[in-house]
Amino acid sequence: MGKYGDKSVSMNIKGVRFRPWRKYAVIYRSVLMENLQYAANIAMGFFSYFVFIFIFIKLWGYMYRTPGELIAGYTKEQMIWYVMMTEMMFFGSNAASVAGEVARDIRSGNIAYLMNKPYHYTLYILSRYTGEWSIRLPMYALLAVVIGTVMVGPLPHFRLTAVPAMAVCVVLGLTIHAVFKLCISLFSFWIEDATPFQWLYDKLILVVGVMFPVEIFPKALQPLLKMTPIYTVCYGPAKLIVDFSPEKCLEILAAQILYLTVGCVLMSLIYRKGVRKLYVNGG
Amino acid sequence: MQAITVENLSKTFRVKRKEKGMRGSIKAILHPQTEEIRAVNGVSFSVDEGEMLAFIGPNGAGKSTTIKMLTGILYPDGGRVEVLGIDPMKKRKQLAYRIGTVFGQKEQLWTHLTPYDNFRFFGAIYDLSERETEERIAELSERFELNAFIDTPVRNLSLGQRIRCEIVASLIHKPKVLFLDEPTIGLDPVVKENVRELIKQMNREEHTTIFLTSHDVGDIEKLCRRIIIVNDGQIVLDDSVERLKSHYQDKMAADVYARSQESGMAEKYEEAPNISLEEILVDIYRSEEDG
Ligand SMILES: Nc1ncnc2c1ncn2[C@@H]1O[C@H](COP(=O)(O)OP(=O)(O)O)[C@@H](O)[C@H]1O
Ligand SMILES: [Mg+2]
Repeated sequence: MGKYGDKSVSMNIKGVRFRPWRKYAVIYRSVLMENLQYAANIAMGFFSYFVFIFIFIKLWGYMYRTPGELIAGYTKEQMIWYVMMTEMMFFGSNAASVAGEVARDIRSGNIAYLMNKPYHYTLYILSRYTGEWSIRLPMYALLAVVIGTVMVGPLPHFRLTAVPAMAVCVVLGLTIHAVFKLCISLFSFWIEDATPFQWLYDKLILVVGVMFPVEIFPKALQPLLKMTPIYTVCYGPAKLIVDFSPEKCLEILAAQILYLTVGCVLMSLIYRKGVRKLYVNGG
Repeated sequence: MQAITVENLSKTFRVKRKEKGMRGSIKAILHPQTEEIRAVNGVSFSVDEGEMLAFIGPNGAGKSTTIKMLTGILYPDGGRVEVLGIDPMKKRKQLAYRIGTVFGQKEQLWTHLTPYDNFRFFGAIYDLSERETEERIAELSERFELNAFIDTPVRNLSLGQRIRCEIVASLIHKPKVLFLDEPTIGLDPVVKENVRELIKQMNREEHTTIFLTSHDVGDIEKLCRRIIIVNDGQIVLDDSVERLKSHYQDKMAADVYARSQESGMAEKYEEAPNISLEEILVDIYRSEEDG
């Protein structure tokens, strides 16, 4: 996309005087341009993804003894596809901007210069994040489909018509994940280093939602786990992909919208408090 | 009309203090001690629309802190600020549309994008239409001679090229006031001269008010008629460069005369030295330290 490559975009934009979202679309587009240069670098992560999935294929191959056996209600194929999908979301959204970048902006005082522009800093960061996963996620999705068909076999009862609904849930999940990580990063306004909290949150999601579906855990724990962000961020969307039903889809969407709303309110509260502190103390 | 009005502006930072060594570290946990730094201390001045003002002073004098308060990045804890009739504290976003800022030591450009894509980005941020942005880019890249490298990623540009792009990016939305915090820092003399010329041109052709901080005497001599000198958060001088010079010239002459009278060497009287602005500033800073 150079000087002349994006005529269509310019024609859409021309003539419309006031579109408050346009600037965020442009931030998104700029990150896209920035990251397209590094698509090859992103592909370097494919190897780790492959190793991770390979281990799980071996693990579950050992655990499932007879074909058609169910563990926690999942067939072997579903179980492996589950972890492939959650890992796809994790690898595909590597949230460098929402985690490291925000903390660095705050600590270095750079945030003051970013806030001085006519956009909202948190939306700016979320646009950047979206621009990042827009390139990574499709690359990992493709990889997952290739590994899945070659090494695991197709999902039973998978319907292509349900893919758009699944995609919506995945995107919402990624966004909620980013909002929560952003909230943690914003603690940097008060504490020296927020990375331990990031680490805790990441590990919680990884162990409880990414590697194993919630049904693996003791019955007593399950309702509790379903109330954590894990349900909306990775368990829900991945479960939907391996075992789709319209009811489940609606349930997850409702939970996601609730979580997104709560997360955003929380985020803007923390942000506003933090900014006030910044204005007083300087960067 | 006045572009900037500042009355009795103050800012005090509270910083943690720690005595030396391990003992000090432990003590600091038990009895945290803070120290107050009066970064800006009762500053008042005003700048006319279309004026070019140099705001100068030694390191730590409070120049950057003042610019931050004028642009809404930092809240003052005393006094009143108005930029283009807007209180930066209350309407920061609204003000952002009408001012431009360049911080010589901060990058605002996205280093992985080309200048052209950066300018398009800033155009959109400031709600310019696609056509307005294109026209403005064409106009400014012509004037700032960016065409040779407008499609090269910013990370591959030289410092001089980059700072020119930074300035263009801050001018995309035709700001009425341009704040520059040490814009020529680290540039070689030729690029410095070039940047100054461009700033001057913006002032002349678009009537942009220029508020500039610098250490560089050249910036001041070449650009500004008026200077404000700050030290320790206070204004020690607010005058035209010309008057400052002639005042010092007279003072020097008088000193030389007095000394020659004392030593009885009246013939030296004629050789009142032609003092440079640099020497004047050093003298002012020194006398402040003594006082
Ligand atoms: N965020 C901050 N916290 C604490 N002290 C600060 C902060 N910013 C500036 N200061 C102090 O305020 C004084 C003025 O700083 P500054 O305005 O950056 O000076 P200048 O730009 O003139 O070199 C210095 O003593 C500096 O250490
Ligand atoms: Mg400074």
